[in-house]
Amino acid sequence: MLQLLQDYDCWVFDLDGTIWRGNEVIEGVLEALELLRKLGKKVLFMTNNSMKSRGSYLDKCLQDDIYCSSYSAAAYLDSIGFDRSKKAYVVGERGIMQELAAVGIESFGGPDDNEKRASFSSEMLHDTQVGAVVCGVDPNLSYYKVQYASMCLLLNPGCLFIATNTDARGHFTPNLEWAGAGATVGAIKGVVERDPIVTGKPSPFLMQDIAAKHNVQPAKSIMVGDRLDTDILWGLNTGMATLLVMTGVTDEQLLVAQRGSSNGVKPHFVMDSFGDLRRVAQQALQQQK
Amino acid sequence: MVSCKAVANGTTQPRRADTDDKRKLIDSVDCFIFDCDGVIWRGDSVIDGVPETLDMLRAMGKRLVFVTNNSTKSRAGYLGKFTGLGLNVNAEEIYSSSYAAAAYLESIDFKKKVYVIGESGILEELDLKGIQHLGGPEDAEKVVALKKGEYMEHDEDVGAVVVGFDRHINYYKIQYATLCIRENPGCLFIATNRDAVTHLTDAQEWAGNGSMVGAIAGSTKREPITVGKPAEFMLDNIAKTFGLKRQQICMVGDRLDTDILFGKNGGLTTCLVLSGVTDEETLLSPENSVHPDYYMSQLSELLAVKEAAKVAA
Repeated sequence: MLQLLQDYDCWVFDLDGTIWRGNEVIEGVLEALELLRKLGKKVLFMTNNSMKSRGSYLDKCLQDDIYCSSYSAAAYLDSIGFDRSKKAYVVGERGIMQELAAVGIESFGGPDDNEKRASFSSEMLHDTQVGAVVCGVDPNLSYYKVQYASMCLLLNPGCLFIATNTDARGHFTPNLEWAGAGATVGAIKGVVERDPIVTGKPSPFLMQDIAAKHNVQPAKSIMVGDRLDTDILWGLNTGMATLLVMTGVTDEQLLVAQRGSSNGVKPHFVMDSFGDLRRVAQQALQQQK
Repeated sequence: MVSCKAVANGTTQPRRADTDDKRKLIDSVDCFIFDCDGVIWRGDSVIDGVPETLDMLRAMGKRLVFVTNNSTKSRAGYLGKFTGLGLNVNAEEIYSSSYAAAAYLESIDFKKKVYVIGESGILEELDLKGIQHLGGPEDAEKVVALKKGEYMEHDEDVGAVVVGFDRHINYYKIQYATLCIRENPGCLFIATNRDAVTHLTDAQEWAGNGSMVGAIAGSTKREPITVGKPAEFMLDNIAKTFGLKRQQICMVGDRLDTDILFGKNGGLTTCLVLSGVTDEETLLSPENSVHPDYYMSQLSELLAVKEAAKVAA
């Protein structure tokens, strides 16, 4: 463990299942983070949870840079020079719309369409100026939203299909896992029969953004997360070291199965909880003094 | 442009049936399986000449079966539609995907409960097979708040989730189904069908059951057992129930990716009608590799055989 502290200058953390579960912070984690900062490490956070924008995470006592998947979708559209005369239709929460607005992209839909219902007795119309459909987890998913998004994708030439992530599930409350953006994306994909561009983990897209802004070298960085198919895979895809924690969705059985499979996702390191790093980090800090 | 030369993959181009072909077709099979939408009716109107054509085929001793991937009604519900349109049909001749789901569960001696995403048709068919169910339309208005302390219980006796077309799909249903599939050991994930779009109205295409099934596939990372077209189950069940061999059957449909593919995969003779979603251009396009044995504008073209027989007499 001490070696980890020596080898890696930049630590990127997943949030749900690594730092907290729903609204409850995992024991020892905040102290461990504080110790990392004291040791001069760069601390960043990266979450696939698309429900909020970056701004709203700050009230959870995270002082450092937070990369959420809603931001990743907006950053992606910005990076490809999305035509600002077009709009985005959002199937997801307010966070996505806020991030899009921050890069000057007009969007509609999202929670504002929660009460809308499809009427089969009249023709359903759609805005021909929609140039992208952006999806995330939607606790208010409905037939109307799926139909509207599908019409944009099938009828508007060149309309992009963007997914903040395709996670099957997420710890949106402390004691239960809920269907994630994977459900939203799956619903739309089932109609339009094409895959979305995924901007959040495990897509390496955000690494370019992070590397540029924070002058980060993947070789001296480590990704800490609880999910093999997003966090660890993202770390592997971007050339970082990876540390799996067992405080979230991955259990021993899954880990063993992945290690045993030839194309399984294998983390470099495994820890029961990131909070366990406290003692070692404390030691390292003493040694520094 | 229309020719019968073999194309690179070894199959011949589809053949527009002339009167001889139609006679040959009718003589060569004992049973016709019809897709409904685009073949028998369009929305709520029967396609002209269909009642007479069905009567003619019956008089010639042919077994008729009607299949539809639409799971919203039960067989009995569809019977109402048939008779309302002036068509002589028996409930046992109707294979809706709602019936197929219940028949599938019966075929594997299923004894647990089913959580249903879908409309009343599936529930009625499950009732007829004596299979206990939860969900369906009664979960249509349920809302999930995702605030702190929110929890969802689920019935541990659910041994299968059946997903059918659902105009009231919502996150509650998706989450409930996901919990059953994820947490109940051995829980089955069954889809009535996976049609990407459905033709509820003439004005436009509507998101089909492919979206409801897609949502659950996305939240569980599992693929379902599909009982409707183009999966084989319905065909196996039809062949078994009526004691037929595949060579004795012709599939008539308007969709290449479900009806015709279904027929070809099952070793049936296939006939495409252009009275539904597929036009001649799409059928003959080099991008299309699904080739029916015959095609015609609409089902009533088969009446030409009767006319030809009259003339010959």
